[in-house]
Amino acid sequence: MIPKIFPRNLTARASVEVVGNPVTTRLESAVGNCFPGLEFDHRNLDRRFFPGLIVEFAANGIRFLEADLNDPALAEEAGLKQTLAGDTGIRLKQGAWFIEEITQGGTTIEMPQVGQGLDVAMTSWRLVRSLQPGSVTIKLERRLRRGDDQRVPRTPIKLTAKRRTYVDAQTGVIDVAYAAGELTQSLCSPWMHDFRDCACYYWASNHPDIVLAEDPPGEPTLPSGAPMDPVRALTPIDWLRRDRGKTDPAQADADRNREHEIDHYEINQAWQNLAIVLQGREISSIYQPPTSDPANPFNNPDELAERLAELATLEHAVALEYLYARYSLKDPGSVTQTRLKNDLIFVWHEILLVAVSEMRHLRWDNQLIWSLEHAGLLTKKVGPALGIIEDIPVAFDPSRPPQLPPVKVDKTRKRQLRPLEPDVLQDFVSVEQPSGFLDGQYARVLATLREKKYPDTLAQLAARIIGDGMDHFTRFRDIQGVLQKYKKPQDYLRNVVPAPEGHPLGDKALQLYGNIINELRAAYDKGDMEDAIHIANARALMFELDGAARKLASEGFGVRFFTTPPVQALSKNHARRRPGTK
Amino acid sequence: MSALVTLGNSFRLPSAQGVETTLPPRMHLLNGVPPLVFLVDGSRLFEVEPSFFAELAGGNASAEARLFDMAKAWPRAATDHFLPPPTAITLNVAQSCNLSCTYCYADEGRFGGHATMMSLETACAAIDGLLESNHGRRVSIAFIGGEPFLNREVLYLAVRYALACAEHTRSRVGFSVTTNGTLLNAQDLAFLREHSFAISVSLDGSAEENDKMRRTRNGTSAFDLAVQALTPLLENPGRARITARVTITRNDLRVLERINALLRVGFNEVGVSPLRTSPVPGLALMEQDWPTFLQEMERAGESEWHHLRESGRFSFSNLAIAMKQLHSGHCKPLPCGSALSYVSVSARGEYFTCHRTVDNPRFVLGDVHSGLSLNQREVFLESRYVDEQEPCRSCWARYLCGGGCHAEVLSSGRSGCDYVRGWLNYCLRFYDRALREFPTWFEQGERTS
Repeated sequence: MIPKIFPRNLTARASVEVVGNPVTTRLESAVGNCFPGLEFDHRNLDRRFFPGLIVEFAANGIRFLEADLNDPALAEEAGLKQTLAGDTGIRLKQGAWFIEEITQGGTTIEMPQVGQGLDVAMTSWRLVRSLQPGSVTIKLERRLRRGDDQRVPRTPIKLTAKRRTYVDAQTGVIDVAYAAGELTQSLCSPWMHDFRDCACYYWASNHPDIVLAEDPPGEPTLPSGAPMDPVRALTPIDWLRRDRGKTDPAQADADRNREHEIDHYEINQAWQNLAIVLQGREISSIYQPPTSDPANPFNNPDELAERLAELATLEHAVALEYLYARYSLKDPGSVTQTRLKNDLIFVWHEILLVAVSEMRHLRWDNQLIWSLEHAGLLTKKVGPALGIIEDIPVAFDPSRPPQLPPVKVDKTRKRQLRPLEPDVLQDFVSVEQPSGFLDGQYARVLATLREKKYPDTLAQLAARIIGDGMDHFTRFRDIQGVLQKYKKPQDYLRNVVPAPEGHPLGDKALQLYGNIINELRAAYDKGDMEDAIHIANARALMFELDGAARKLASEGFGVRFFTTPPVQALSKNHARRRPGTK
Repeated sequence: MSALVTLGNSFRLPSAQGVETTLPPRMHLLNGVPPLVFLVDGSRLFEVEPSFFAELAGGNASAEARLFDMAKAWPRAATDHFLPPPTAITLNVAQSCNLSCTYCYADEGRFGGHATMMSLETACAAIDGLLESNHGRRVSIAFIGGEPFLNREVLYLAVRYALACAEHTRSRVGFSVTTNGTLLNAQDLAFLREHSFAISVSLDGSAEENDKMRRTRNGTSAFDLAVQALTPLLENPGRARITARVTITRNDLRVLERINALLRVGFNEVGVSPLRTSPVPGLALMEQDWPTFLQEMERAGESEWHHLRESGRFSFSNLAIAMKQLHSGHCKPLPCGSALSYVSVSARGEYFTCHRTVDNPRFVLGDVHSGLSLNQREVFLESRYVDEQEPCRSCWARYLCGGGCHAEVLSSGRSGCDYVRGWLNYCLRFYDRALREFPTWFEQGERTS
């Protein structure tokens, strides 16, 4: 016989598992959505929103199904119960009745009748869901169906009662009016089936739709594992394709891919053939992580902070180089030829994404620095780090064709504001090259932050920065792929030189940039995640800067980012120095 | 394993040399109604059926195995964590005192040296150190001595400074003070209310009991001075919280009478502490005193039970704290936060493991100018973990007790371990009673201290 033990204090209670249902059946483990839902579809609660009635949210309206005279809520609505038991109840049993109007708190809303797909059902349900507890009046009307007698009286029925409270206020128990099984009568399909077409994208968010094809064995690869051949490296294929052997590029829109994909019901068996995807690429053999030198952690937090400060200045420099290059592209609006226009829109967008990503790294480097400071790990203040490095490392020989295996070369180049010519673009690719300089430095940062003395969350920031590197590399290679079809750079570039000093718009743009930096400095100095006023200010200024830069570029000038901008006092919310600071 | 012989609730392993080594006990049995079992890891308390209890008490190994199977493993507290900066400091603003209590560990506040006052600069440097490493967190600043109100100016200014800095670091500061109460004026009371101070007043009971040990220099009654000064605060505490703290010496081990005397004065909460080390001989409790003291504590506990029934509030803070800790399953390898979450700052600006070890070079951890040494803290703590101590490592109560006050143990050894176990047994029973009769206190997070 199993002896009984009774936990008394909290740690005792926490350690005793009650034999029975597993944790996944507990409500707090539930995936509580209503699309329709995995454990129970709580839209089913609203089917009985009105005491004594059961309705259905159908594609053509809120349809009356039946009256439930045993509804316990009717105990408090004697008049309504009598009505439903009498003539009104008899009328409701005949024909198709719909709730056409709902009134609460003086507002009357007509229920929608026409719409696409499930719109009517969803909208009506949503309106009913938004009702407050308290008195509600509904108006039901009979709709004639084929075969109904036209002369049947169709006087609307108006009923008033208190909306159901669904859950007991004291105990939290669901209203006993609901029969067993009523709340779970509509649920999500088994996951294998839903894997294809989950309408709320729950399952879609758990699987890839576009991936890169696996490398045939023996093909040369980059150190990251990406194939050397840039075409195969970057051709997206449909992960749900029916013919697993094919690696044709995916179509540009979902509808055109649909006919080639594993279908409903097929998916229930075929899901087992779907590929595992790592780093965006399908894989069918045992994964071999790319070999890389184990990174040496820094000796102490101060060294780490200094390196982070240096990296921040590098991120800053490349962000500005990318940004400058972006404005050297022709304005898509000024171009009529469709293919060029689309290509320009694409490249404008992609470069901005990378530049913004570098700016995010600049912020994260500063965030790591202030986090180290706040954790009391530094012996001296290092941040904020908002300078711009002079020499940008070039770990690979930029003149070497990218198809050949890379060779490490320790070189730097001076930072430079240049238009997006092919050699410039190649420089950008080199900076972001996997296993390049940036990768290596952050690997050391990550190795350091994994040590116990550092707060847990900091390592994750460093890991994200490293993860982004591959993404930047891919994007620049995409851009190369798009632009290589043009014979002359002048096809997609305009003539842009840095605006000279004294040029009013050039100076204004530079001033805006300077103000952005000031706001960021104030924000990073405080390092307060809650107080975002400086970030908000900086963001607003960035939009202004974008506008000014575009206008400048249309006049043939670029922003002179690498000149020290004039310092201007912050207009609001200056960071106050503490009393007694050294 | 057939080689194992259970004896009570610890295992003895015959080793190769024939020397018995003892494994630390995993559980402690409390006979009674109902039978209770306390599992050491996780400080987990269970009620069990009498027949099962009998099996466990009889040393039935499979019964024990079944018990641990049902209760599941509890993760061991790791002692090799990254050591975070302390979140609490005590500032010895006045190493000097206007009283000369016979038993004072601080030698009238001087800690064996000269009477010294802390400068504002030192206080601010300590506060800077505390806040700069605790952005966005809750911190605690306590004022102590000697008698901290001898250096009133620095106390006031330090509080204001701390609040100003905390705005910048977004920390939340709580203040507390330990005082004899005799020097408090109306302005002080207002200040204590305004800043929601937790105040611990050192008084030993009735006037007669108190003045026997706690003496003024001119012969007036320290009790009268304190009560006179404190009465307005006791009648109207505002946001301040006041507790009286009694020191019990061996010449009078009674507990309940002292508590009641102080409740009559107007205190709502009284805590007691038995004297273990003393500069003056003949005051600290000796081995033969502990059983009597335990009886006295239990007597006070029983009286508290009745008080609770009537008022729903705890007045005996030792018991209140025990209830809170037992309920939450307090399970720590150290007795307190010294050197861990808390350090003390001497008047001259040096850091010490706690307020009892001020100016003792064995316990120094750095100073406010060069900083708090992480290494020193680690070294100190590693030597104090209860599983490294004898006889603690084989005691079922080790994670509740923690091994006893470092300062006391290192200066005069451990005594009264049976008392500690006896008191904990009493508290475990009390807890079980309280949980059954007044479940709502614990469930609603009722403040029991």
